Amino acid sequence: MSRTLLSIACHEYATAAILYLAFLVRQWRFFAVAGRILIGTGLLIHAVALGSALAGQGGMPVGLAQGLSAVAFLLLAIFFVLDLRYRIPVMGAFIGPAAVAVLIPALLMSTSGEPMPSGFRRPLLPVHITIALIGIAAFAVATGVALMYLLMERQMKGKHFGVLFSRLPSLTFLDQLNKQLVLWGFVALSVTLVTGAFFSSSTDGLFWKWEPKEIATLVAWIIFAVLLNARFFAGWQGRRVAVLTMAGFCVLLVSFLSSYDPSRHLGVFR
Amino acid sequence: MDWLCIGLSHKTAPLDVREKMALSPEKIADVLQRVSNSVGETMVVSTCNRVEFYALARSTEKARGELHSVLSSLGGDNSLQHLYEHDGDSALVHLFRVAASLDSMVVGEAQILGQVKDALELAQRVGAAGPELVRTCAAAFASAKRIRSETEIGRAAVSMASAAIELATKVFGSLEGRAALLVGAGEMGELAARHLRSARASPIFVTNRTRERAEQLASEIGGQVREFNELHAALTVADLVVCSTASSSYIFTKEIVFPILRARKHRPLFMVDLAVPRDIAPDLSELDGVYAYDVDDIQRVVADNSAARAAEAAKAETIIAEEIARFVRSRSIRDGIPVLAQLRARADQIAKAEAERTLANLGADLSEKQRRTVQAMAQAIINKLLHEPTARLRELRPDEDANRLADAAAQLFGLDSGASPPADNPRPPRGELKTAGSGGSKR
Repeated sequence: MSRTLLSIACHEYATAAILYLAFLVRQWRFFAVAGRILIGTGLLIHAVALGSALAGQGGMPVGLAQGLSAVAFLLLAIFFVLDLRYRIPVMGAFIGPAAVAVLIPALLMSTSGEPMPSGFRRPLLPVHITIALIGIAAFAVATGVALMYLLMERQMKGKHFGVLFSRLPSLTFLDQLNKQLVLWGFVALSVTLVTGAFFSSSTDGLFWKWEPKEIATLVAWIIFAVLLNARFFAGWQGRRVAVLTMAGFCVLLVSFLSSYDPSRHLGVFR
Repeated sequence: MDWLCIGLSHKTAPLDVREKMALSPEKIADVLQRVSNSVGETMVVSTCNRVEFYALARSTEKARGELHSVLSSLGGDNSLQHLYEHDGDSALVHLFRVAASLDSMVVGEAQILGQVKDALELAQRVGAAGPELVRTCAAAFASAKRIRSETEIGRAAVSMASAAIELATKVFGSLEGRAALLVGAGEMGELAARHLRSARASPIFVTNRTRERAEQLASEIGGQVREFNELHAALTVADLVVCSTASSSYIFTKEIVFPILRARKHRPLFMVDLAVPRDIAPDLSELDGVYAYDVDDIQRVVADNSAARAAEAAKAETIIAEEIARFVRSRSIRDGIPVLAQLRARADQIAKAEAERTLANLGADLSEKQRRTVQAMAQAIINKLLHEPTARLRELRPDEDANRLADAAAQLFGLDSGASPPADNPRPPRGELKTAGSGGSKR
């Protein structure tokens, strides 16, 4: 059943994404409002689908399919909240298609079958994974915002005042939003690192095993730490920060994907 | 006499060409004095977006050559490729459109009408503008005013200044609490200041080469005066800079601004240059976090005119067509005033006849120069005598009063559309005698 629900949600998201793209071209309020409604109801359905799937797993997404599904959910949830708060439907044209692109592979992958390995039933694990996914989603949205910033800046610097120029929010707003999202993402990433280390020590007795995902996560953490420091203490902002955000997210993506074990058929969070 | 308009504007010439062509009033006066003798009635409209010669040319060919040589001497040979030309009634239409702000960079902006008025005033002052040019401009101004009151074009239109402020919101979002620096407190600076204040930018620093003007503007808008030599310190604090000085060299260059960026802690800096020639070096926007724009850039911002404004512009075009038609009609009536023509012809005949008679009486022992002096004197008396009545008849609008006065003149001078020429000269005057027309003497 959850698969059907997920598919419905995915269709709603895809429709919303098209509406938001249409909004980019022609600024009719209808597109924005319809997109918002579709995302809202899609999120509800998606929540039911995810909830029913995770209920039997201690509230923890298992496998790449559920991981992707959860990321798509969080991505759109963050966008939905931001849109309600700041009214930035234009962002839907960036986040919407990205979320659909993340969700489609989740739908195509088989999610049934294999039980969770026994060693994974630890109280800390659901917290670790959930926070890690929230962090990824926050950085993904921050990257979307950074992309919007770079596009907007290119329009402003190149003095080509096209469609994007009139639709995108101001540079300062995008920069501030990036700051908020990176800050929250950084907190989540830090918690993920710490809880991950504790979980690792409780299963293998080692805090740090030099696994690719650990290294990638640490590198991403350092990038974001440098970024936030530069922002708060050296007054960095704008393009440099946007580029660094994107770079950090790319490293984080490596970390996310390497968290799944390719040797298993399903892929499970290790 | 035919209308000729030659010039260049933001539509045909890039900023660096217009910059070279930006003429001071003194320069314009000088040019006008030089060309008006050979070309005919002339005026020059020179704003930051256009330099245009309007001439009521005796010979279009000659005037074109003359104006081309003047323009190329001002802006170099390259400037000729940016010129456009209107002649005849199309020049008239162009003048009406320019005055009505339909040809402006920001369609509907109000400044251009004043600028054309200034242009006419200057031309009158140096004696380059004659009655026909004045009359035509008056009609153009009237049509511009009608457009302003009958269409919404002025309301939709933003000045360059407000378009610039709008652009700033694309960097900062709200301008509330953003520090602004005005460099130059002229008309454009004042406009910008008002927009800044209504966008609630604060504080607003005003700097100007002459301090009094800066103080005056600052007190009007609740700003603070900064000395012109404190410019760099003010730049450290400001988020927005609006330049509109008459300086002929750059005030802000990369070398000046770059060191300040560090002191600003890399906060974004928005700079807009409403001056021509420019105050801000064009390469400034290469600096990270600096967003610098000149008048051409601002034009591109406002280029995406709303449909509403386009509709208003269409209405305005209709009004222009009506006003032109009316003007042309009244001009042809005026031109055709047979009373004037007859009067002139009669007077010329008398002058000639009397001169001949005097010369005959004096005998044959006069030199050629003496003969010509006598003829010139007769002609001069006639001209002086007829100048006032001719001017008054010409100035009249074609209405009842004009007809009455024309009739009176015809009676006084014994002219009648049906009357034959005086007996002592049976030849009809050279084609000038027109049969009485609608506006002429009717009895």
